Amino acid sequence: MWRQHRYKMLFSLLLLLSGLLLAIDTGDAKPGNEFDWLDILGEGTTLLVACGWLGLIISSRPAGRVTEWLYYGSLLLVYSYFLDLLDEFIRYPDHIRLMSWLESLPAPVGMLVLTYGLIGWHREQRAINRQLRGRELFLRDHQLIDPLTQLYGIEYLQAVLQREIELHQSQRKALSLLILDIDNFAAFNRQHGMASGDAYLSQLSELLSNQLRYSDVVCRYAGDRFIALLPNTALPQANIMAQHLRQQLSQLAIEKQQPQLTLVEMAVQQNSAKSALHAADQAMALAKKTATLSLQPI
Amino acid sequence: MSMRPFGYQDKILLLQHGSTELLALAQRRGAQLHKLLSGTGIFEQDLHKPHGRLHHTDWLKLLQNCQQQLNSPELPYLLGNALLNSRYISLCQSLQYAQNLRQALAQLYYFRHQLFPCFYVRLYQQQHCIVVEFKPALGLANQQGFMQTVVFSLLLGLIKQQLGSVCGISLQLQQAASHQLQHQLHWGVDVSFNQSADCISIPLALWQQRFIDADTLKFTATRRTCRQLNRVLSKQRALPESICRLQRRALPQLLNQDQVATVLGLSSSSLKRQLSQHNTNFATLLDEVRRDAARQLLQQGRYSNRQLALKLGYSDEHNFRRAFKRWTGLIPSSFKGLFHFN
Repeated sequence: MWRQHRYKMLFSLLLLLSGLLLAIDTGDAKPGNEFDWLDILGEGTTLLVACGWLGLIISSRPAGRVTEWLYYGSLLLVYSYFLDLLDEFIRYPDHIRLMSWLESLPAPVGMLVLTYGLIGWHREQRAINRQLRGRELFLRDHQLIDPLTQLYGIEYLQAVLQREIELHQSQRKALSLLILDIDNFAAFNRQHGMASGDAYLSQLSELLSNQLRYSDVVCRYAGDRFIALLPNTALPQANIMAQHLRQQLSQLAIEKQQPQLTLVEMAVQQNSAKSALHAADQAMALAKKTATLSLQPI
Repeated sequence: MSMRPFGYQDKILLLQHGSTELLALAQRRGAQLHKLLSGTGIFEQDLHKPHGRLHHTDWLKLLQNCQQQLNSPELPYLLGNALLNSRYISLCQSLQYAQNLRQALAQLYYFRHQLFPCFYVRLYQQQHCIVVEFKPALGLANQQGFMQTVVFSLLLGLIKQQLGSVCGISLQLQQAASHQLQHQLHWGVDVSFNQSADCISIPLALWQQRFIDADTLKFTATRRTCRQLNRVLSKQRALPESICRLQRRALPQLLNQDQVATVLGLSSSSLKRQLSQHNTNFATLLDEVRRDAARQLLQQGRYSNRQLALKLGYSDEHNFRRAFKRWTGLIPSSFKGLFHFN
């Protein structure tokens, strides 16, 4: 998470450094016997705690408006406490008031900014809770997990896809699907029996959920078709993932008798889950027809 | 009608004709065997005996247990396919070696007591299709939808396997639209819901098309096995089915309960008792027979209400109209309109 905030961290360091330089420039060091250790301990702890807040914000929050308010509020506090600590070691000439202003002004402003950010955070959390509750209710109402593969079934896929389509459209992000189909699964079942067909399905589903990212949702769309939902993924990236998956599939399939697989990737541009799934079916039908994308795991 | 219909307490099903497949499917999906078998008269050690048998009530209980233990909507579709490809069911093997669909379905219908004693069918032609209408032959409780799905999956699986496609085939189901998605994904045919009967309509062209695995020798051999099996599972029909057939044949005169009992070689009270075990009664069956006959007559030709009333054994036109309104919610003329304009 902290990678999203590199510029913020650089800016903070520069700000603190400039404070330090300014302090050294304007004042001169106190002799050791004038240090008030109790003050230093108190102000040092306050500074450390404020720095801890900054660290927590950076490591847990994604970049965004609310995070900005939280961060700069805390940064002003840190700046103020930092100068406060410095004046325990440095004595400023009496006629320069700038340093005492810089010491006392940023703290209340920072508090206000931080409070505003916290209010934003509260609102955001409420929205997320509402959404999660809806989702959880949905999951508790229907038991949507396929008992064989332990993947979600088609009803769940439709519900999640619809939600993700709306979310991604409002945030203008790309959403992609991976569609995996077992060619001629009925014939495989007929030849090797239903038991080995079932075993193959659970093996395949395990592989799929291991190979995809944590954020991807893998569903069993039909008896012999899986669909993975790739949030926040554009087509080129999905392409790479599909290539990777093809390699994995062909490496991990040891036995020769396993059926062929067809894997297709697709960017979702439709407005509803239904039309997107329809397009997915069509893409799969086209791929089967041309058979350019199929692979044979040997 | 020399055959005595089987009672509710007769063990008319072979364990290997469905139960073992169903149990294997359910167990692979995480259900526990003892929970699946609880409440049925089936013992674990009997499961693999070649001629182990069970009651039809046990079968229904087994289906119910499976649905309680598992939330797997694909189960009936898979069971249909598993039955079709089972090595232990010579009837299903013979279907795959038949010359064409006509021979396969005739075979299935002749030996249906071995696999699906719970259904009987009526055939009729409609435009360029032959419609196969499925009627429950015995009390199926709430498992009719499940069993119907199993049978349709088996048929469609056979057609897909042997003819390569299910193009042109359509299904009409009595149930309300509930498993639309599953039907679409597993069957890939047009399904219409809330219809007056459970039917599959198959284009005439498919009936004579040669099967890929057609093999006369193997077909004869498997049919011989089926015949041998008949010694164990005699060719009996369920009581409700027998009564419906008798009544259908007797139209427009209808037999009363005593006459039917005499023909079937039962006492009137035991007929009553056995019907109540199937969760039905004599009057309901009679009503069903008339309803189906009326619907088919209306679909086939333009009869006046008076003619229909006569054909169905109603004393006057008015009674018929009232009964028809009760069955369909429509008066006969608007029902006719529904058909002939479509």
